[in-house]
Amino acid sequence: QNGDKYTINDIVVTGNTSFNASTIITYSRLKKGQEVYIGGEKIGEAVTKLWKSNLFSSIDIYFTNITEDNKVDVEINLSDLPELNEVRIEGVKKGKKEEIIDENNLKPKVKVTENLVNTTKNYLTNKYKKKGFLNTKVSVLTSEVQNDSVEKQRVNMFVNIDKGNKVKIKSISFNGNEKLKDKKLRKAMKNTKQKSLSPLRLLKRSKYVEEDYKEDLVSLIDKYKENGYRDARVIKDSIIYIDDKTISLVIDVEEGEKYTFGKIDFVGNTVYTDEFLSQILRIEEGDTYNGVELKKRIANDEKPDGLDITNVYQNTGYMFSTINPVEVSADGNVIDLEIRITEGKPAYFNSVSVKGNDITNDHVIYREIRTRPGELYSRANIIRTIRELGQLGFFNAQAIVPDIKNPNPVDGTLDIEYTVEEQGSSQIELQGGYGGGGFIGTLGLSFNNFSLKNIFNGEAYKPVPRGDGQSLALRLQASQFFQTYSFSFSEPWLGGKKPFQLSTSISHSRQFLFDPQTRRADRSRRFNITGITFGLSTRLKEPDDYFLLSQALSFQHYDLQNYNTGLFTFGDGSSNNLSYTIGLTRNNTYNDPIYPTGGSNFAVSAKLSLPYSLFNGVDYGALREERENPNTTQERIAEIDQERFKWLEFYKVKFKADWYAEVAKKLVLRPSIEFGFLGAYNNDRGVIPFERFFLGGDGLGNFALDGREVIQLRGYPNQSLSSQDGGSIYNKFSLELRYPITLGQGAKIYALSFVEGGSSVNSFRDFNPFNLQRSAGLGVRIFMPAFGLLGIDFGHGFDPLPGLSQKNGWETHFIIGQQF
Amino acid sequence: DFQKVMKSEDIALKYKKGEELFNEGKYKKANRLFEQIVPKYRGKPQAEKLMYMHSMCFYKLEQYYLSGYRFEQFVKSYPNSEKAEEAAFLSAKSYYEESPIYSKDKEETVKAIEKVQLFINAYPNSEYAEQANVLVKELDFKLEKKAFEIAKQYNRIYDYKASIKSFNNFLLDFPGSSLKEDALYYRFNSEYNLAVLSVPELKDARIALALADYKTLLKAFPNTKYLEEANELKEALEKERTNNEIKS
Repeated sequence: QNGDKYTINDIVVTGNTSFNASTIITYSRLKKGQEVYIGGEKIGEAVTKLWKSNLFSSIDIYFTNITEDNKVDVEINLSDLPELNEVRIEGVKKGKKEEIIDENNLKPKVKVTENLVNTTKNYLTNKYKKKGFLNTKVSVLTSEVQNDSVEKQRVNMFVNIDKGNKVKIKSISFNGNEKLKDKKLRKAMKNTKQKSLSPLRLLKRSKYVEEDYKEDLVSLIDKYKENGYRDARVIKDSIIYIDDKTISLVIDVEEGEKYTFGKIDFVGNTVYTDEFLSQILRIEEGDTYNGVELKKRIANDEKPDGLDITNVYQNTGYMFSTINPVEVSADGNVIDLEIRITEGKPAYFNSVSVKGNDITNDHVIYREIRTRPGELYSRANIIRTIRELGQLGFFNAQAIVPDIKNPNPVDGTLDIEYTVEEQGSSQIELQGGYGGGGFIGTLGLSFNNFSLKNIFNGEAYKPVPRGDGQSLALRLQASQFFQTYSFSFSEPWLGGKKPFQLSTSISHSRQFLFDPQTRRADRSRRFNITGITFGLSTRLKEPDDYFLLSQALSFQHYDLQNYNTGLFTFGDGSSNNLSYTIGLTRNNTYNDPIYPTGGSNFAVSAKLSLPYSLFNGVDYGALREERENPNTTQERIAEIDQERFKWLEFYKVKFKADWYAEVAKKLVLRPSIEFGFLGAYNNDRGVIPFERFFLGGDGLGNFALDGREVIQLRGYPNQSLSSQDGGSIYNKFSLELRYPITLGQGAKIYALSFVEGGSSVNSFRDFNPFNLQRSAGLGVRIFMPAFGLLGIDFGHGFDPLPGLSQKNGWETHFIIGQQF
Repeated sequence: DFQKVMKSEDIALKYKKGEELFNEGKYKKANRLFEQIVPKYRGKPQAEKLMYMHSMCFYKLEQYYLSGYRFEQFVKSYPNSEKAEEAAFLSAKSYYEESPIYSKDKEETVKAIEKVQLFINAYPNSEYAEQANVLVKELDFKLEKKAFEIAKQYNRIYDYKASIKSFNNFLLDFPGSSLKEDALYYRFNSEYNLAVLSVPELKDARIALALADYKTLLKAFPNTKYLEEANELKEALEKERTNNEIKS
């Protein structure tokens, strides 16, 4: 130790501080009676400790009143850091000021340290440089508040931001490039662009951001590497300031020699042959050397389910395999490679577990998992499991994490644990709005992941019984013209043994006629529909497991009271619709259900009623003749029709297909065709007035429950292309080109353009699949998780509406919800 | 009156009223007062009793997540309190109450076992020890039941391989389980089904494995409740074996 030893007699706190003296003494850890040295550890620690509190601008410790027996008084002299009083910011818009204050925490009472001033200054300078304001100058000044009634020292801060002009890059030029053209090199620089007059590049600004520029220099060299120039480098790059608004970039490159692939040998492969692996690698002797592509063919990090050598092994159990390309010789400019493979033992799953399911029961999750205990490890199955667990809708799809545990290369086993994060999957919809000529109120409750077996278990109500993967929905909708009540329930694994989905729904609706005199609903003239449906569907294994077979049995009862429209000749009466539907669909569209980039979607279905006329003994031929006789009274016609429609007799066949193809990066082409036909078994009985097709418009199904199918055909008013009571045949072709504006988590937005055409007629005699009502147009779709899909389309109809002679022209359509 | 006390600045009055309400069993109201004054009594002699009552309110109100934590803090702060043992037990019991049904995430269950076990270790002669042991058993059983039901589900959805592997793991992980008899039977059942469905080349080996499982079941539980079913399956296997031999 240096210096003399002293004993502390007393400790005092002096200086400009608002803190309690005893607090500061306790905090400094100095105590009366303690032995200290001048310049010793204890004093140093006290200073450091106080300094680290970030509350003082100066700290001095003095020894005073030194007595002969080496006793001292310790004086701690402090001045508090000034507190911030007010901030004034100049040089930016008002809205930005708030942001700057928040981001730098420039709030009143914050201690103003040197550090705060510096970081604020640097932060702002960088922020504007990043936005292309290369000449940004920021000054931060502080001044003490004078005549302050508060005892503490306070300062005002003045931040002046001089953004200067936005600096644009006038040109980017290259020296030393012979093999690759300037244009190609400029293209390789993704974020640094020269000023352009081309309207195609409106979105990419020609601003200069240093970070991006440095990154782009790397991309530039990568471009060379992709073309075989693996020695290429940037020798020099310079910025030329033309004026305070524009700069030029000059980049000197050295290209070096072009390399090619030589012989490629596979070493260590016993499971797969050299030929097979070469086919996956797809690189031949003599090809231009491309390290980037080579790496991708061995393991493509961007496409975890792509076809590369690593995945070939990873998907067939070889979890412990490693694949290393090694350059064995570089003779001249030819590079010979050895792909060294260590296969390891095939790995089997030992324990498979799930974590984080606070709501969903195990059985709902484990049955969807494709990696099961005792099975061969497969990366593809893990990826598919994550995707399918996400599709259940109970978990946050982005937060499903597979965690491989206890990998044991000796035994060839591993454990896997999936971590899931429950998300709310219930929705309450309560809305009011105008439509159909009046106010419409809607109350909808839908509970996904419902648990029916706990419905009488009071404890499970949190707030509704959940966890068994069932769904339950209740919907009430009413306006003065109609009321609809519906209830539906579905269980995805009926009986728990196979993915056999049961769905059932009950609905009831009432409609009233419009009274033109009062301009209100006429309650005495109504049309009631009551229906019940049971459906079963199951995923098929053959021809592949994207096929879904579904069947449904449904019954509807129509009841009319004084409800005369063109639809029925009888105003009082009833009608029943008992039908069986069988459908086959295949949907393998992939990646994003909102914005599929590939795959296709097919659906074919048939809906049938019983052929009552075969066995009910009614002579429909005679009835038909009587009906067509001009002498028959209206009353009699109504009676005949009542007989015809008592039990609806019909069959309906539908087909629909659409494809998605990525024609350029993210640009997706979607061709689709569809067709529908409603027929009668007995021509004397005729085609029923229900279940018909209504072509034209936005395709949004309204409240009608008469089995009608509303088919979208933009560029024409809603349902304008079918006869008033609906067509019995329709077909439609459509071609849509989509481009995403953003596919972020919060909102997915894409723009689209379309050409389409369709026709709807009442009998095959009039049917000509190429005599179409045509249209074209464009639109945009926005998907937000809370609102679903919203969109607007502008369509131009090139053909006249039925009965008119002029082309229909422009129509605007609002789209709500997804069209399937 | 209660509202007046709530708005009052007098913490002694709040303490008194809170204690009164607590003794009357009006935990919700008492807790609202306690919440206000707990920070103010920190370090004071009344804090011990206050903290105990505060924790107890949460326990009585079935807010077990909070009561578990609060009682734990109480024991840490006042290890020598006469209520420490009771508080430690109620903390452990709160964690027990937080554990959900076996078919959901087991994390809380695992944590509860740990907490109850810690209580048993700390107070081996406690009057609550017997109760605590019951709790641990119950919690342990949840974990067994979970593993068992998952393995059984694989059998139900026709994935016999996964079922066998899972039952094997189950028998290794819970050697003394009360579900052992069921596990042995269902493993045999899965093994039987796998054998029957096998291609002829693998059939013999799988039948042998299944019969071995049958033997294991009967050895451990000679009078098993599954005796009838097991014997039926065994006979079917033997028949299957004869058929397979004839074919090959």
